[in-house]
Amino acid sequence: MTSSWKQQLVQVLLVLVSCGHGDTKTAAPTPTPLPPVTPLKQDAKSAVLTGKNFTERVELSSPVNMTLSCTWKGDQDKPPNITGHWRKDGQEIQDSRVTVMLEDENYKLIQVFSVVSEKDLGNYSCVFGNEARIDFILEVLQMGEKRDKPVVSYIRDFVVMTCKVEENKPIPTTWNWYTSNGTDKEQINTTASKRFKIVSEERETKLKVKDLTLDDAGQYYCGAVYPIGTSVGQVELKVITFMEPLKPFITILIEVVVLVAAILLYERSRAKKDSAEGTQTNAEQNTEPQGDDKGAEGNDSVRQRK
Amino acid sequence: MPPAAVTNLGYVPPDGGWGWAVVVGAFISIGFSYAFPKSLTIYFKEIQEYFSVSYSEIAWVSSVMLASMYAGGPVSSILVNRYGSRPVVMVGGLMVSIAMVLASLGTTIIHLYLCVGVIGGFGLAFNLQPALTIIGTYFQVKRPLANGLAMTGSPVVLSTFAPLNQFLFDSFGWRGSFLVLGSIVLNCCVAGALMRPVDKRVRFKPSDGPPRCEGGAAEEAAEVDVSAQSADPAPEDGPAESKSQSYISRYIDFSLFRHNGFLIYLSGSVVMFFGFFAPVVFLAPYAKHQGTDEYSAALLLSIFALVDMFIRPITGFIGNSKWVRPRIQYFFSFAVSYNGVCHLLCPLASGYEGLVVYAVFYGLAFGMLSALLFEALMDLVGAHRFSSAVGLVTIIECGPVLLGPPISGALVDTFRDYKYMYYACGIFMLVPGIFFFIMHYYNYKKVNEELMQSALVISNNKEALQLRINQDDETMKSKYGLDTVD
Repeated sequence: MTSSWKQQLVQVLLVLVSCGHGDTKTAAPTPTPLPPVTPLKQDAKSAVLTGKNFTERVELSSPVNMTLSCTWKGDQDKPPNITGHWRKDGQEIQDSRVTVMLEDENYKLIQVFSVVSEKDLGNYSCVFGNEARIDFILEVLQMGEKRDKPVVSYIRDFVVMTCKVEENKPIPTTWNWYTSNGTDKEQINTTASKRFKIVSEERETKLKVKDLTLDDAGQYYCGAVYPIGTSVGQVELKVITFMEPLKPFITILIEVVVLVAAILLYERSRAKKDSAEGTQTNAEQNTEPQGDDKGAEGNDSVRQRK
Repeated sequence: MPPAAVTNLGYVPPDGGWGWAVVVGAFISIGFSYAFPKSLTIYFKEIQEYFSVSYSEIAWVSSVMLASMYAGGPVSSILVNRYGSRPVVMVGGLMVSIAMVLASLGTTIIHLYLCVGVIGGFGLAFNLQPALTIIGTYFQVKRPLANGLAMTGSPVVLSTFAPLNQFLFDSFGWRGSFLVLGSIVLNCCVAGALMRPVDKRVRFKPSDGPPRCEGGAAEEAAEVDVSAQSADPAPEDGPAESKSQSYISRYIDFSLFRHNGFLIYLSGSVVMFFGFFAPVVFLAPYAKHQGTDEYSAALLLSIFALVDMFIRPITGFIGNSKWVRPRIQYFFSFAVSYNGVCHLLCPLASGYEGLVVYAVFYGLAFGMLSALLFEALMDLVGAHRFSSAVGLVTIIECGPVLLGPPISGALVDTFRDYKYMYYACGIFMLVPGIFFFIMHYYNYKKVNEELMQSALVISNNKEALQLRINQDDETMKSKYGLDTVD
């Protein structure tokens, strides 16, 4: 109960502070619009620091009032109070310095941050004294299966590239696809270029590129748009000609032909040698006729006559 | 102890020499036949996205390929009976190769069903049967060992294909990979080239052992001389059969259905195959269900394959030893029952360590059974009828092999628990195992009795002959007054 009172006090303070300065240089947390039209969801993340450093990743999909609380066990010498402050993306948040009292052998820092848009995301750190720090990395929901190997396709063929969001994660509002244009990302417009077709379901999106050329190769990005921001996945496309697999095909084909020929030739030469010897031994024996199949048949008839 | 082996092949199998080269050829052929359909699954995900079909539609490619491979058995048998192993294997290799090349140019999923599924499956059938058959012609004394070594091809080729396919897929996508696989599979033609027809000029000296008439395709060879019961009707049927029976029965031996040993084997395997492949298919999903991550689950399969690889030649070696060889059907029954027990105990395995233990024991069981699978059949029907026998067996096994995994899958889905599936598979294997034990006990007894009877008949004949000779001598002597009658 006391913490929520503290939260509200801090919130009000922050509002007053940011209204007063209106400074955008220092990464000040965006003030909550007052009064909020739709009440933001509440969420809380906490961490306990035992060493000097700790990092926690937080994935978000919609705007939220995020309460971050840090607990520090303290150093060798535990002074009764120390100064703690908050940082965003390495920069100290203005007027976030507070004096922290030692309670139950712990120092505690709690702060509420209002995260509504993409620029509110980032690395929020609570710092105790000058050294001990816990980082909360607030970022957009990351996509599930990351495909690190390129998709391979052929000239004049088509390719289908997929991006998926995991089952238990929230559904994106919409999907976009981008192609890389130098260092920029350029959104793919399916009406403009007929070769591209995008089919999006709730958790899955497919980009179909027809009539491929070598220029189509490169990085493609799928963006899952959430209220808080866009989560980007990457797919690399490689376009090759049919000559590429044809080379190993022909190599192995040659190897097979050579081996088969070698085996059959070896057998032919052995058979000639055997038949040369066989005619000698045949003169000694007087029953068996020579030849493989003929021999068997001939012997059959000999035995049946018996 | 049953009497010493009387080979009825009409020649002495080399039991070595070029036979080992043939084993290498069979190793390759069998390896491709079993491993190829399984290894293609790595491409399914991308092909599924490419053609925008569901996973079950894509899985049909594997099923059609397996079904064609088993259904092509009889056709393969007929061709082997007519032309011998070598041409059939080479044609088979060419067929699969052409199938894969055509598939790489495919534009619809039906295209894949036809090329990879039907043509590819038939091509593999033309590899499997002849490879097994030719071992029987080259080996008699060391046949279990040769069979065990040849069957090792399956896990070895599968283990080689797994990383190879991944590499091909990353480099060339699915189309290029199919093209390159088409050339790799041409190595079956090399295997075929090694399968030189055996030299039948080395004759068996008929000085010891009863003389027997031959009837061409109805001729048999058996270690325990199980041929005793059907060798006698054979000579009379031989010429008569080819006249009155249809064209097909000249090339495929339907009289096998009157062979007790064959019937035992067939009925047992039909039930057994329902539970044969399913546990392999579900090993990784079961592990993931228990909470292991994907890599550890894949590791289980690798452990299984590794154990399988080593136990097959060892089983062949054991099967060849003088204690086991005469009673090899019991060894086979033991292998089947052991599989069943293994599956029944699987649900007791807890945690990842338990699963590893299960994978090891299952690898042992699977390898043992696979190594003996065809050796048992060869032992029962003999090398000459083996070709027809294996064709008939595979086409009848087609059903259980295809239905097994889906039934198990249905069990898993209905009960939402894997243990019922393992119980079911365990029963499917334990019951035939016990059935084999009992039936072969009676069969061995019957065979021994018949052997003694025929030995008795022969000794009686010999005595009668001796008596006649003596009588003739007497009459001759009395006729010509050579006897001193006093």
